[in-house]
Amino acid sequence: MSVTEDSLKPDNQKLPRVVVLLHWLVAASVFFLFVSSWWMLSLPLPSAEFTYRELPFQLHKNIGMTLFVAVLVMVAMRVRFLLREVSSSLGWLQRLAVWDHLLLYTLLTVCCLSGYMSSSYSGWTTTLWWLVDIPLWAAENDELNIVFSEIHLWSCWALLGLLLLHIGAAIYHGIGSDGAIDKMFRLR
Amino acid sequence: MGNEIPKADVSWLAVIIMLFGLLLLASHGNELLKQTVIGPGSSAELGIAADCRADELEEEQLSLEECQLMVSNVRIILSSSPQWFRPYQQALSSLGIAATLLSLVSAFSLMNRQRSSLRLVVISVALLLLVDIAGFIAAVNIGPLLRAQYLWPLFLWISIHLCMLVAVIRLEQRGKMDS
Repeated sequence: MSVTEDSLKPDNQKLPRVVVLLHWLVAASVFFLFVSSWWMLSLPLPSAEFTYRELPFQLHKNIGMTLFVAVLVMVAMRVRFLLREVSSSLGWLQRLAVWDHLLLYTLLTVCCLSGYMSSSYSGWTTTLWWLVDIPLWAAENDELNIVFSEIHLWSCWALLGLLLLHIGAAIYHGIGSDGAIDKMFRLR
Repeated sequence: MGNEIPKADVSWLAVIIMLFGLLLLASHGNELLKQTVIGPGSSAELGIAADCRADELEEEQLSLEECQLMVSNVRIILSSSPQWFRPYQQALSSLGIAATLLSLVSAFSLMNRQRSSLRLVVISVALLLLVDIAGFIAAVNIGPLLRAQYLWPLFLWISIHLCMLVAVIRLEQRGKMDS
């Protein structure tokens, strides 16, 4: 195999079933969070009379917190492998794929944490799946709420950009049928 | 060998089905959420004025006019929706979610490269196409302000699902000819 072919060779390692399932769960959640957040911010501002935002925001926070746990599990199961890949002598395309994954995990974590911090400083309470009250990080603080809202916003835009790269890569490997995407469909 | 689909045909199709499936799942989920949140008889319909506090406006980076129009936006949705529209959309979105989940399962089964899984893909994509068409017909019969929001995205989904359906049917036919 030539050097060029070698550098394009996809990583065909088997993934644990949990990682595969979490990958698709995270993907579905992220798409839903994007589309629902774009819509819910067009709803009337909250007040005693206008409670349209209540359900969408609670749902957004619940899915976000669940997503955070899912990402932590995925990171715990994958990070050692990804770090090893970074330090090994890979082709540029594989190196890009590893960095794409590491950055995706980082941005997902930043999005979730900044969302939680912003929510905490907003003074609005959160009940995880309408069952468990989540403690607020601190007392209400408008300035810090705005700071974390901005971090949430920009990290989510960056995540969306990176997702497009990720999707493009998946289509590239899918059309090339080089086996790279097979592991994401393997449940056995 | 005759029962297996060539790998080159399977990989791209599975990725495309998963990608559009996840996007559509989010879309149907959001529609269900919309129809749950915006119901008849709610504050916007009762003509209550928007509550636009200065601190909230600054936090959301909104003008006073935008804040007031947010209530008008809900009123547009409510006044453009006939009585049957909300339950119809709730049922259709639920059916859409079920059909989309079936299409995601079919993408997984496709990666096993068995010809029989193509039939599952045809059924699920045909079901998605029917859901799109049912949504389109409903959107044609609602008020113009709301219709404008629904028709074009639905037409895009009809086109996407039609392309997918034709591609899968052609793959299935080619497999029959090869064997």
